[in-house]
Amino acid sequence: MSAQRTSRTLLLLTLVLQILPGNFVTNQQDDSELHFLPLSCNQTTNEQVKVDFSSEIVDHEYIVTFNGYYQRDTRERYLTAALRDFNASWSVVDRHNPAFDYPSDFDVLQVSTEALTNLDILKHHPVIKDVTPHKKVTRTLKFIDDTLTEDVDQPYDTLSSISKSRNRKSLSLATAYWHSPARKSRNLLRAIPKQITSALQAEILWNMGYKGSGVRVAVFDTGLAEDHPHFKPGRIKDRTNWTHEKTLDDGLGHGTFVAGVIASHKECLGFAPDADVYVFRVFTNNQVSYTSWFLDAFNYAIMKKINVLNLSIGGPDFMDHPFVDKVWELTANKVILVSAIGNDGPLYGTLNNPADQMDVIGVGGINFDNQIAKFSSRGMTTWELPGGYGRMKPDIVTHGSTVRGSALKGGCRSLSGTSVASPVVAGAVTLLLSSVLDRFDVINPASMKQALIASARRLPDSNVNMFEQGHGKLDLVRAYQTLRTYKPQASLSPSYIDLTECPYMWPYCSQPIYYGAMPIIVNITILNGMGVSGKIVGKPQWEPYQPQHGSYVDVAFSYSRTLWPWSGYIAVSIAVDKMAAKWEGVAQGQVSLTVESPPEGDETEARVSHLKLPIRVKIIPTPPRSQRILWDQYHNLRYPPGYFPRDNLRMKNDPLDWNGDHIHTNFKDMYQHLREAGYFVEVLGAPFTCFDASHYSTLLMVDSEEEYFPEEVSKLQRDIDSGLSLIVIADWYNVSVMKKVRFYDENTRQWWMPDTGGANIPALNDLIAPLGMAFSDSVYEGEFMLGEHDMQYASGTSIAKFPKEGVIVTKPLKDQGHEVVSGDTLNAQDVPVLGLHQTPGGGGRVALYGDSNCLDNSHMKKDCFWLLSALLEYTSHNMLAPVFEDQELVTLPPIKQLPERMEGNHLHRYSKVIEGHMGTPRARPLPPCPSLVWAKPNPLNITAPSNLYQPQKLLSVNNFDINHVPLLSLPQENMADMESEMKELPVKEPEESESRHSHKHEVDRNTFFPALAFLGTALVILFMLNQYYKRRSKPRRKRPRAQKYSNLMYGRTYKSPSV
Amino acid sequence: MLRIRAFRRRWFLALFAFIFVLFLLIRSLEQVHIPTSGAYDVEHTLLRQPFQWHPRLSDVETANITTCRNSVQGSQLIVDERGYVCSRGDLTSGGCCEGTASQYNCSSCKANGCCMFYEHCVSCCLHPEKQPLLEKVLKEARQIYDKLIVSASDQFELCLAKCRTSSKSVQHENSYRDPHAKHCYGESPPDLQMALT
Repeated sequence: MSAQRTSRTLLLLTLVLQILPGNFVTNQQDDSELHFLPLSCNQTTNEQVKVDFSSEIVDHEYIVTFNGYYQRDTRERYLTAALRDFNASWSVVDRHNPAFDYPSDFDVLQVSTEALTNLDILKHHPVIKDVTPHKKVTRTLKFIDDTLTEDVDQPYDTLSSISKSRNRKSLSLATAYWHSPARKSRNLLRAIPKQITSALQAEILWNMGYKGSGVRVAVFDTGLAEDHPHFKPGRIKDRTNWTHEKTLDDGLGHGTFVAGVIASHKECLGFAPDADVYVFRVFTNNQVSYTSWFLDAFNYAIMKKINVLNLSIGGPDFMDHPFVDKVWELTANKVILVSAIGNDGPLYGTLNNPADQMDVIGVGGINFDNQIAKFSSRGMTTWELPGGYGRMKPDIVTHGSTVRGSALKGGCRSLSGTSVASPVVAGAVTLLLSSVLDRFDVINPASMKQALIASARRLPDSNVNMFEQGHGKLDLVRAYQTLRTYKPQASLSPSYIDLTECPYMWPYCSQPIYYGAMPIIVNITILNGMGVSGKIVGKPQWEPYQPQHGSYVDVAFSYSRTLWPWSGYIAVSIAVDKMAAKWEGVAQGQVSLTVESPPEGDETEARVSHLKLPIRVKIIPTPPRSQRILWDQYHNLRYPPGYFPRDNLRMKNDPLDWNGDHIHTNFKDMYQHLREAGYFVEVLGAPFTCFDASHYSTLLMVDSEEEYFPEEVSKLQRDIDSGLSLIVIADWYNVSVMKKVRFYDENTRQWWMPDTGGANIPALNDLIAPLGMAFSDSVYEGEFMLGEHDMQYASGTSIAKFPKEGVIVTKPLKDQGHEVVSGDTLNAQDVPVLGLHQTPGGGGRVALYGDSNCLDNSHMKKDCFWLLSALLEYTSHNMLAPVFEDQELVTLPPIKQLPERMEGNHLHRYSKVIEGHMGTPRARPLPPCPSLVWAKPNPLNITAPSNLYQPQKLLSVNNFDINHVPLLSLPQENMADMESEMKELPVKEPEESESRHSHKHEVDRNTFFPALAFLGTALVILFMLNQYYKRRSKPRRKRPRAQKYSNLMYGRTYKSPSV
Repeated sequence: MLRIRAFRRRWFLALFAFIFVLFLLIRSLEQVHIPTSGAYDVEHTLLRQPFQWHPRLSDVETANITTCRNSVQGSQLIVDERGYVCSRGDLTSGGCCEGTASQYNCSSCKANGCCMFYEHCVSCCLHPEKQPLLEKVLKEARQIYDKLIVSASDQFELCLAKCRTSSKSVQHENSYRDPHAKHCYGESPPDLQMALT
């Protein structure tokens, strides 16, 4: 009876609008941008025009758009009618241009100053579509020398609008919303190759005679039509349907596109046209799917001995045990699983399951300019929180932006999304597998993954870190060379730990380590190509390099007991030895471990692999207490498994708090800001009883959902008395609102009731009660000025109780709780949002603030990092920022009752602190603090190179150099073909965009066409009959039947519940 | 303009109803023509293939077999087609479990035919005594066109397929009905265990 939720979404192929070269399109959301345009088409000159463009709003002028084209007089009549009740003067600005005589759909309206706010009345008029402020656009043109910019074949400009869907079916709200792409600076996009296969040089393998034959590849998606023209006859071996819809065909185009990228042989080519394609329909046309469908379909895939399986799907629920177990079972049966990492970027902590599993190849997306796609989900995995640290994912990246593939009814379309990138890899893997069929016994999910990541190339843009690009971009030809000579072995991902390598090793490189800090944990994945099951022999050894101060580093390990299936982890905890408490420098060493798997076939000896993991760290002297901050991770809870609702109630399309609430996921920017401000941030993954408060100036608690042990409450009180400061950034909590945001989850077929609000205020109040403080259960939102900063308060709480001596900041806000519950707006004056207090007797300082949205990247509108800095100035350095000075003394009204926990909540199911006991939750026994056993060092007299990164090398048979594996040389004209294809601009673009539009509506047509056709026919018949009848006879009597008529036509209207 | 009166005519309503019925008919006919979850396959191809029951062999005969299919996937345990369960290290080069292994091991299985370990489930399912039970399972699978079970060509394949967790093993989609006995060879799904509150 767990209230868990499976949501596995189709990682949407996102439609991308392409604009012809030379078209200049401004991005509406950015006010200022730089664009580069080719000056001439033949590219003989080295000059370009740089268009610098800025816009400003023109006062008192508005553009009024109509829903059609009207003559000038008509428009003026409409405006007069619309502004009948408008008592200020207005006029229409004359536009003297050649379009003057023709109908237009807009007017520029000039109004006098005082009437600004009333303009909304315009929108009530039926033909007026919108009113927007008039903008003045200034553009300047500059010529720049092209040789200064990057070497680009033919620059051209695109504007891509990426739609993103999370398929939260259970919330009856629109799921797609639109993002503009990140355009940090100038941006030259490479020509988009006509064929995705040429971008990866699949021709080289094709010309060697490999086209995927003999490999069984499964596509788990929305199905595929039986006779799609892009597939060779007889290549679609099997189509099965596992959904409740009785069809095998694709109604969406997603499955067709994915299958096409893998195995199409016409128009837009796929990688392995000769492979045997098995189509599994596991998604309905409405993008619904259930875990149980997947379980049965996966079983069938095992039975059919599938070699490669593409899953362009994903969901946040990695605690869906039946599904995760089944994925393990699948790879254990030698099925190579390729899955899309998710379309939830650029936010961190947004990896999707199953792509985030160690045994699965998780694929992220890049564009053709080798930049990471904005939509591609970023690491780290959040399985290991709060005690551990996430693994590195995605594994590799490949083209996932504006890739051309098969459209639903033949022809091609261009799509984006990680669900495009995933079949690119799946197709490449299929092709690779067919090229090494003679070595089939050494190919398994681990060895394929090892070959892909060892041959991947890091992106040229050095600003992309490992949680974005993984091991880099797929290189098909090098992967082939690697596989050709592959010898069964184990390997590590990442293959080294260099805490000084920035920015690839972000976030590790962002903060040096020092004595007394919470240990840094690096979670390394072990891939074992020797066998499905294996183990680490003995214990991993820590071997510090004597000449490079390795002995200043302490290392502890935790690792999987069995490496199954094909993989396991070794988490390396790194700390500084006491000897180096005042030392500064770089220390190096290595971890060595031995992995063993049972013998296979005729072998008599166990298979053994010796692995080395080089480590390099930067050590600094321990910073002073005032600069050290402790981030409380232990009391942050997230989905899965519990329903912890969003922190901003306006964000209805993303109901869950699922990014981990870690400083390296959705609080990444806040962390970066604190680092820039000179603070050292450490993470506490254990109860408050497990840290030494004398090391830290401030304990930072943001958006906590967990309960507190009684021991923690008293320990924190003692710590504050002896000088520790505390910052609590809370969030909304209100039982009525919580009941209102419950929803029916179609996936688990259960009602979902949140277990806390945005934060767990009753628990927080228990924690800060000894300080004489408490939060309320009111929910407020609004905007205000604090000092000279704009602040956005998005669903926050207020302070209910505060010591008299404290400083309190009050602001007028809107009562959002009242609005959610009853529907009408209520303004609230003097809401206490912020409180600062110096505890008596020289103890620490406490700062409370009621809303966390301005620190959290998830739904951030306006950041308030400056406020956090100001609070830290106060708590850590005892400096009251000027903005808090001269605050009026506020006496809070006495409160009758503090917020209480919701009756019957299920927090105890997900809590580490409380447990259910005869219906009433009670505290669990306090767990022991984690204690690390430092590995005994075995010093080595070695000096390691200063750069640890080398393209990973796998052992090969006969000491073959993989770069010298003979490749059948490509015939010259073929190369030329490829070149020209690479360079050719998509000239047919207009035509294409048209076909794309038609496909966009394909879905609707499939569902509604019969109904529409029927309705249309009925109406035509009706009309004709009526005409006929009218001519024949005169009405005998008149009786109002309008009521019945409308009932007949429209049926009864049902009110849908709104949340 | 449309006159309301027109709608009141009997012939008109009849026409309206007729079109509607026609529409419904076409829709339902359309659905009939679509092959439903492989029913055609099951009826026309899969059911014709012969099914091989696990042979009753004497110990000597069993010992003479040197190459076996096995369950491939396990992290520790593995079961071969003769029904022997052993640890991975004890596999012969032919994929068979060596002599010390136990045959028809039902040690983690409950009375309802559900076991804790997949390998025990397969091993137990291969017991010749289970044949009548499996015949019932097969018969039922043919009735509901269960493509997975029907695809099995002998008892080992049937047991491999039947013992896997499936849509019958879960409640609320994302949790097991019984996390401690989720692999079933019998007809019934695992007993529903109420989550502890």
